Amino acid sequence: MDTVIVTGAGSGFGLALTRRLLEEKFRVEAWDRDEGSLSDIDDDSLSFRQLDVCDGRAMADAVAAIETSAAITGLVTCAAIYRVAPFLEITEDDWDAHLSINLKGTLLTCQAVLPRMLDQRRGSVVMFSSLIARRGAVNSGAYAATKGGVLGLMRALALDHARAGIRANAISPGIADTPMPRAVMDEDMLISKGEDVPLGRIAMPEDIVDATMFLLGQESSFVTGQDIRVNGGAGLF
Amino acid sequence: MADRENILVTGGGSGIGRAVAIRMGKQMTVIVADLNEDGANETVAEIEKAGGAAYAIKTDVSDSASVRDMKDFIAKDIGPVSKAFIGAGIFIRGVVGQIPEEDWDRMIDIHVKGTLLCAQAALPDMVAAGRGAIVTMSSDFAVMAVPGAAAYMAAKSAIYSLTKVIALEFAPNIRANALGPGPIDTPILKSNRTPEEYEKALGALAEGLPIGRLGQTEEVAAVADFLLSDRASYMTGQIVHPNGGQLMW
Repeated sequence: MDTVIVTGAGSGFGLALTRRLLEEKFRVEAWDRDEGSLSDIDDDSLSFRQLDVCDGRAMADAVAAIETSAAITGLVTCAAIYRVAPFLEITEDDWDAHLSINLKGTLLTCQAVLPRMLDQRRGSVVMFSSLIARRGAVNSGAYAATKGGVLGLMRALALDHARAGIRANAISPGIADTPMPRAVMDEDMLISKGEDVPLGRIAMPEDIVDATMFLLGQESSFVTGQDIRVNGGAGLF
Repeated sequence: MADRENILVTGGGSGIGRAVAIRMGKQMTVIVADLNEDGANETVAEIEKAGGAAYAIKTDVSDSASVRDMKDFIAKDIGPVSKAFIGAGIFIRGVVGQIPEEDWDRMIDIHVKGTLLCAQAALPDMVAAGRGAIVTMSSDFAVMAVPGAAAYMAAKSAIYSLTKVIALEFAPNIRANALGPGPIDTPILKSNRTPEEYEKALGALAEGLPIGRLGQTEEVAAVADFLLSDRASYMTGQIVHPNGGQLMW
């Protein structure tokens, strides 16, 4: 059975993706600092590991614990933090936290998983960027910087390992109904953000999951190094 | 098959358009429009062989009268379309200093005016139904550039721009996205080349690509299928590049 590793699997996109992968009969290695709603899922194909994406050694050990008979066909890096602050009030601690979890954490995760994919000579890596990477957003300097960085990291991975059968792409969601924006705005404000989107609504996690499944699967066999912008038309560039 | 929805595929007589028509023929009734009637008929035969339903119609997408005839044929003999793949295109080489005006006009008419006319033909059915999806045929060359094909690049950029405006003007019920393929193994590569030259060109193109091989038309069709489907229901105005990593932006 094909295995997909998902970081940030305890909530938001990661959780919705984990549920879909299980529905579609994948084995899922769900990594997160907190188990969150994963504890509600009763499925033998799910294995949760409490991991910090800043801990490369622990992730390498987790990969080593996956039996080599199981092909690791996909890696999806959703783990990230988002804290708002006006530009001049971004603290060094906040900056460092964003950079280490969102960007360095993505690198370390890929470095832990890629050796197995290279042995298999196949694998699809999907990194989560954001509409904010290209369009910006007020009070989101640290987050925006990391999500732009993710695009650079994704391209580097795509270029360095394309000949080995590894594809790497990014998804840049627009604003979606997940705990991340809900932490910084109330329900009415979140829903009203949809009025500014050409398709007339904010994204649902399932919209993002659909695009992720496309990138993980064979339909996207000639797609690598790309940023798939699932934003309802909010960013046309 | 009576309850199948209809899709218009222009440029369906060869290459990527044919691959899209054949793939979509597994789910929908396909109207295969192409200036090359023999090519369109061959595509229809392939779809029928696989158990699908399809109709060929000879169409010059750069000619509004011909597109009107196509629209009348669809309305009278087939029924409303819910999806459209607008893919008819040609390739003419030419450096800026020496592009003959006829070549320029032909490139812009077929690609840009053709995309507009075919979108105008397909959209009213979608507006009436309150839903629909369009995929247009742009290129990596909408964004990047190489010397020697100015008209092609101008045309493909215009298609991408037009697609964004269609997306905005017909949101939220109808979506429009563009394909931006990189080097794909299509009949265009074989034209004007001996078999040896073709193999050599294939090798040189493949070597220049991160993925190390050219794309197959089926791989482009798979992306078109995704963008036309409800799985892309939150995507509009975007360009998606099945390009083996040729362009990353």
